[in-house]
Amino acid sequence: MDFSLIVVLVIALALIFDFTNGFHDTANAMATPIATGAMKPKVAVGVAAVLNLVGAFLSTEVAKTVSGGIIKEGDGGIQITPEMIFAGLIGAIVWNLITWLRGLPSSSSHALFGGLIGATIIGVGSQAVAYDVVLAKVILPALIAPITVGIVAFLATRLAYAITRRDAGKPDGRGGFRYAQIFSSSLVALSHGTNDAQKTMGVITLTLIAGGYQAVGSGPQFWVVACCAFAIAIGTYTGGWRIILTMGRGLTEIKPAQGFAAETSTAATILASSHLGFALSTTQVASGSVIGSGLGRRGSTVRWGMAGQIALGWLLTLPASAIMGAFAAGLALLGPIGILLDVVIGTVVVFVLFQWSKRDRVSHDNLHDIDDAGHVVKIKKTPRKPSRKDRQKVSL
Amino acid sequence: MIDWAAFLVVAVAALVSSAVVVSLYSLGLRLLTTAGRIPTVEPAEFTGALAVVTPARAAKNAKKARKASKANPLTAGQKRLAQYSGYLCFLLCGLIVLYGVYLIVPALHR
Repeated sequence: MDFSLIVVLVIALALIFDFTNGFHDTANAMATPIATGAMKPKVAVGVAAVLNLVGAFLSTEVAKTVSGGIIKEGDGGIQITPEMIFAGLIGAIVWNLITWLRGLPSSSSHALFGGLIGATIIGVGSQAVAYDVVLAKVILPALIAPITVGIVAFLATRLAYAITRRDAGKPDGRGGFRYAQIFSSSLVALSHGTNDAQKTMGVITLTLIAGGYQAVGSGPQFWVVACCAFAIAIGTYTGGWRIILTMGRGLTEIKPAQGFAAETSTAATILASSHLGFALSTTQVASGSVIGSGLGRRGSTVRWGMAGQIALGWLLTLPASAIMGAFAAGLALLGPIGILLDVVIGTVVVFVLFQWSKRDRVSHDNLHDIDDAGHVVKIKKTPRKPSRKDRQKVSL
Repeated sequence: MIDWAAFLVVAVAALVSSAVVVSLYSLGLRLLTTAGRIPTVEPAEFTGALAVVTPARAAKNAKKARKASKANPLTAGQKRLAQYSGYLCFLLCGLIVLYGVYLIVPALHR
């Protein structure tokens, strides 16, 4: 069988989206172990990448839900076309890159749903979107999940500290939580693979079904699973260091016990919800648990300004990617020329964002030399590079 | 339409399982500490590390841990009991985590 050009384009874009998804979400699993020094950054992203790859092969349940769920709304009379999926993906990718540039851990799933909804409204009409499904499955969980997991992480942190508490001055062995963190963060990475890689598989499968290349109601084919697994793993290995910084340091200063409590709560919530068939945003769960664990340790402070910025990012994700998806869909309606315009504009935007990111490169080898290092602990900002002594202060 | 019960189930399941896992691991650490085998795990060192401990500081911590375990009032038997109970806690904790992995792989339980 040979695919039409638009289907090939959609598959390519879906894989690019999958890459940005992995890249955006490395922080969910690995920001806390890197922050506490439980794992070296390169090792951490490597482990996360492998586990995402494995996770993507383990289950295709979520993929089936996506290819037959929210995106298929209005399937009775109105068919969603590959062009609309194409436009939605462009919106999602651009929004993911913008939030990455700002270092905001925003939900990749929301970007995807937003883009598709926007494209559908323009391409088919607003009656094609099942708003009640969007409310029940996307918006409400987005409001409830971070708060719930925040409470869980708060209690877990309290427990961890209460159980290991000893008289002042006596060693309490809390450094031992670093070993635990390796496992708990790996579990988060694995559950991420079983969840987020599936969303792209669902989209590709949906496109193949819509294009008549695959039987209606069938699951993703093996090559789709394999491509998506590798795309998300490569994305994860590349690592969105900006977001890792925000999650690992921007919200609160994380100690090993807190990191372990936060990761365990994240993993438990994601596993519980995917076992019960809930689509939760991994990112929102992870951020919520970091804040919760920040509140749980005595003497630690949560920077609410940063938390507010992140929450604002969450609020904007759905409408912003919808607007971009709608714009792309509007162009795509012009026919082949519109599609070409979409590709060109999308490429230019991605290129500009990438060039922009080079102005202040953040990578695994300069995690410390960032301007905002000063507001983690109140050390004096020094114009020179922080000396070893300064860095030691940070760790205390 | 909106399935409030499902939200509640997820919340309770997450709360109970993470509380159990965290408690077990913490209890394991506590028991090892009580047994005089205080784990001192220093942060990994890497360029631009977020948490740094100098070798001198690490040595000091290790010395402190050794000193604290020498001053342990427990008998040898009690120490051994605490140590093995600690290992048991870690084992249980690991088994629960494995069960979590088992849950997310539909191929295993169908």
